[in-house]
Amino acid sequence: MHDLKRQPPIDFDGPTQIEICDLHYSYPGGLQALNGINLRVAEGDRIALVGQNGSGKSTLINHLNGLLPVQQGELRYKGKPLAGEHLLQARLEIGVLFQDPDDQLFCSALYDDVCFGPLNQGMELGSLEPLVRQSLASVGLEELIYKPSHHLSYGQKKRAALACLLAMKPQVLILDEPTANLDSLQENMLVELLRHYRGTLICITHDLLFAFELCQRAIVLDKGQVHHDYRMDDLVADPPSMREHGLDFSFRLCGVKSSAAVALETKQDLPTPQVEQSTISNPLELVALDHYRYRYSDGTLALRDVDFSLQAGESVAIVGENGAGKTTMLNCLLGIFSGEGGHRFAGAELTKKQRRLLWRKVGMVFQDPADQLFCASCAEEVGFGPKQLGLPKDEVKRRVDDALKRVKLDGYQQRVPLHLSGGERKRLAIAAVLSMQPELLILDEPSAGLDPQGEELLLEILRELPQGKLLVSHDPFLVAELTSRTLVMHRGKVLADYSTAEFLADQQQNALSLLAPGYKRACERQVLELQHRHEHAHLHRHYHEHPHRHGDIAHSHPHEHEHDHDHVYTHSHIDGDAEHSHSDSLRYHEHSHPGHENEEHDHLH
Amino acid sequence: MHIADGVLPLSVAAGCGAVSLALAAWSVRSTDGDDLPKVAVVTASFFVSSLIHVPLGPTSVHLLIPGLVGILLGRSAFLSILLGLLLQSLLFSFGGLTALGANALMMGVPALLSGLLFNRLRGTSHKQNMLIGALAGGSGTLLAATILAFLLASGGEDFFGVMKLAVLAHIPVFVIEALVSAFTVSFLYRVKPELLEQRLGVVCQG
Amino acid sequence: MLDGQIVQLPASILFAALAVLFLCWFFACRALRRLLSTAQPVAEERDWSVPTIDADFTGDSLFHRWDVRFKLVALLGFAILVVATRSPWSALLACGFSLAAIATAKLPFLRSLRRLMAISGFVSMFLLLMPLTLATRPDDTLLMFSDIDWLRFNLRGLGLALSIAGKACAVTLLMEPLLATSSLPRTVEGLVKLGVPEKVAQMILLSHRYIFVFLEETKRMATGMQVRGFQWRSNVTTLQVAGNFLGMLFVRSFERTHRVYAAMQARGYQGRFPAPFYFKVTTGDWLHAAFWLVTGVALLCFDRFGGF
Repeated sequence: MHDLKRQPPIDFDGPTQIEICDLHYSYPGGLQALNGINLRVAEGDRIALVGQNGSGKSTLINHLNGLLPVQQGELRYKGKPLAGEHLLQARLEIGVLFQDPDDQLFCSALYDDVCFGPLNQGMELGSLEPLVRQSLASVGLEELIYKPSHHLSYGQKKRAALACLLAMKPQVLILDEPTANLDSLQENMLVELLRHYRGTLICITHDLLFAFELCQRAIVLDKGQVHHDYRMDDLVADPPSMREHGLDFSFRLCGVKSSAAVALETKQDLPTPQVEQSTISNPLELVALDHYRYRYSDGTLALRDVDFSLQAGESVAIVGENGAGKTTMLNCLLGIFSGEGGHRFAGAELTKKQRRLLWRKVGMVFQDPADQLFCASCAEEVGFGPKQLGLPKDEVKRRVDDALKRVKLDGYQQRVPLHLSGGERKRLAIAAVLSMQPELLILDEPSAGLDPQGEELLLEILRELPQGKLLVSHDPFLVAELTSRTLVMHRGKVLADYSTAEFLADQQQNALSLLAPGYKRACERQVLELQHRHEHAHLHRHYHEHPHRHGDIAHSHPHEHEHDHDHVYTHSHIDGDAEHSHSDSLRYHEHSHPGHENEEHDHLH
Repeated sequence: MHIADGVLPLSVAAGCGAVSLALAAWSVRSTDGDDLPKVAVVTASFFVSSLIHVPLGPTSVHLLIPGLVGILLGRSAFLSILLGLLLQSLLFSFGGLTALGANALMMGVPALLSGLLFNRLRGTSHKQNMLIGALAGGSGTLLAATILAFLLASGGEDFFGVMKLAVLAHIPVFVIEALVSAFTVSFLYRVKPELLEQRLGVVCQG
Repeated sequence: MLDGQIVQLPASILFAALAVLFLCWFFACRALRRLLSTAQPVAEERDWSVPTIDADFTGDSLFHRWDVRFKLVALLGFAILVVATRSPWSALLACGFSLAAIATAKLPFLRSLRRLMAISGFVSMFLLLMPLTLATRPDDTLLMFSDIDWLRFNLRGLGLALSIAGKACAVTLLMEPLLATSSLPRTVEGLVKLGVPEKVAQMILLSHRYIFVFLEETKRMATGMQVRGFQWRSNVTTLQVAGNFLGMLFVRSFERTHRVYAAMQARGYQGRFPAPFYFKVTTGDWLHAAFWLVTGVALLCFDRFGGF
């Protein structure tokens, strides 16, 4: 239980820009998305808006530029409610970066897209071109100015969408999951851009390290309510609270720490890299590419001379920047794209006919579960593959039940896949592949779009699966946890093919990291430090609520008393662990006090 | 089947153009102004679905789906179909530029009528929806083929032979369209029944 | 000539002709496919690629410099005049003009070939069926084949079909100079200047943009089904899957419409797309337009009074 009425612990000074009072919103279906939001945003605030999926973050954002009408409560931007002329003006001053850049690039060419906002602001045609060029140059896309957006890669689209906003010189910039699916290079670029942005920044993200780098203030939403509104430092330093809101990413921090340490320690006695593997086909080999080349329809080489062989039961990660050819390689491995060069499956050259056999042995989980789910119930969805194999009905049913159980979705048989949450759909997509009982599971960015809690659950499920895995990910933590061998790709080539431990050690040493952007490692250290300062017990006084008695009267209300337990005050050790200080603000929270209820209470009412 | 340039007599092509224009204007008028961009985006998906080829014996037929467009968009369907055909003509040269009006009538009128039929008869049960979906989908294609026949026949008795064969060639398409429409309606009924209400505005939850 | 005659030919000629036609068609198709796919490895069995409309708009030629509005009026006018002609010879002449236009605009012929391929099915159906199904008039020349008396090859029908095919080809060949020589937004803005309502013009651009997005989605979905063992066959299960597939496509597109609309609103959309274009008319624009329209009228006169 939190004190929801509590004021932010620090002064967010500056004139009020956005003020929200007791905002409620429920969707036509009856879903209550916002439940009494109170918020004051000052000019120049840098806010991270965090919370589990479904906690109402996007709904709140959609209120801020008037996309959703205020149902109950008040919302004022620069002192006036968002309506009529003021709403139109506000939309020109508030920029929103939506999750899917394809939604935001709705014109035929980048130039027109970037023009759209400034022209609506009433800009003259004459001064347009330099502005467009400058905006695109700031995100590094100047040379693509007249390209249609469907020629861009995902990361480029995301940056283009940001350029569209920057061209409008927004006073408030709202970002909805800006880092999802970006590689470290592009993420760095984004962080650089945002660091120099001077307006109000509101950022929805699951990536707390990214938020930690850019934002000073953290607002935690849960079930449509503001549960915390405090400094970013306070949030990351408070694992129990993060855990409560499904935000705890500490499991990743520890993972990184330990695996990196292990890697460094074991670096000396590792076998030599296996790049020069013998080309004699291995009896255990499942799939292999041999001097494989693939060319896109526009003539660019997507894969150049790739040599890769995968043994049954092996778990391998493929890493590399966006556009390095990872997804293309997966498609080639599956025989969906066919290029030149050798492609072996189970020791023999892959023919068209054999592809069906290959797909039975190698299952692919797509990045976006929406691409994979197209049935009206979970049972049909998971049973689709086995049914195509021509299995008898009871066998299909058995496999469906088994696969759903493995991804912890038992009892979901009759649910509609489209109505499930993002994390559940991801797991369903995995089940749909598992029901074909593959020997190898290909996972393309499995953690994309999941909140930390969902990520942890997914990881647990994936860890328990006996199948070999081929993982494409930007996430060093997943790579470390799930794989033993790593393939580093760059511009369609395999740069390195060695053990994951070696790879991680490499990453630690190099300044230019493929996975976590440089700033992140600094953030990780800071966060670990903040968290370390905390966990210990001491005697303190605070309010709490429980039934108790005063002589004959038994009742329940918040009251103050002193006791001893682990607490998460923000405090610092000045030198060593001898002295420390922490704030004396009164805290209100719930915890057990065995036997305390029956003690005599003596306080004023 | 689209009519290419040069098949229809100029007078027929021009007449069809005029009627289409009037119908399109009516269709725009019946659509909420704010929904026009939405119709445009949905049209793109209809365009893409008409690229799907269903194998039929040794060959394959592509889906026409005038019935489904009508079921989903109601009165806006004509506009959507005109737009889709224009783009098909611009991108692929399927259907001629000068015959655009005729092609729009051929697909758009069945879409409107199928939409009306579905809206009136669909009832509330899953089975009923599916059945009427099949009826709307099948009859939409049937009507399109009939209009095609009339348009070809307007060229004089010289075209009667071609007309007969063109209609005959559409027979398997009726069956496929009816079944696919039924299954699509069934899917939508179970997953997102709001879409079958023929109002774009109702699905704004997201 | 042979007016009103019945020419008897041995059946072997029919078979020989059919065989030659078939072989020609087969090799032409194969050669075309090869030509079109040299740069494009066969990614999937189902070819869903959508070409770019305005592929060469950055080029420089008489057509590229031509004001879009004049280009639209002149070339569409020319197309209508071509469609109004009747004889195969004038259709052939029109094809010649279209080819000249492609050459003047310095456009690659390959893309026009691709467009011709798209209408080839329709055109060859006419070429094959018209001569065989035409109702016989007294002055028609018929080719009959010994032993097969139900088959009458009507030469008037062949002429009619050739004229239709020629006109279709001529207009199709004109599409590239018309559309590929200026960017699509510019062409559409030209339409607006010519009286097409702005909202409808926006819709063309929006639809065009999202075709590519949905196409990508569709491809990924199709791949997803394929690797789960699905095959397109001629049976009811396939149709059921196709129904689900379409349903999913529609659900996703409806959801996207709302997100796109929100994104438009968020950047100040108030019902109109501001167009970042200037238009400037020169004498050359007038002359060029006049040339095409006069040519079209001349073609029509030649067709009607030229003695064919």
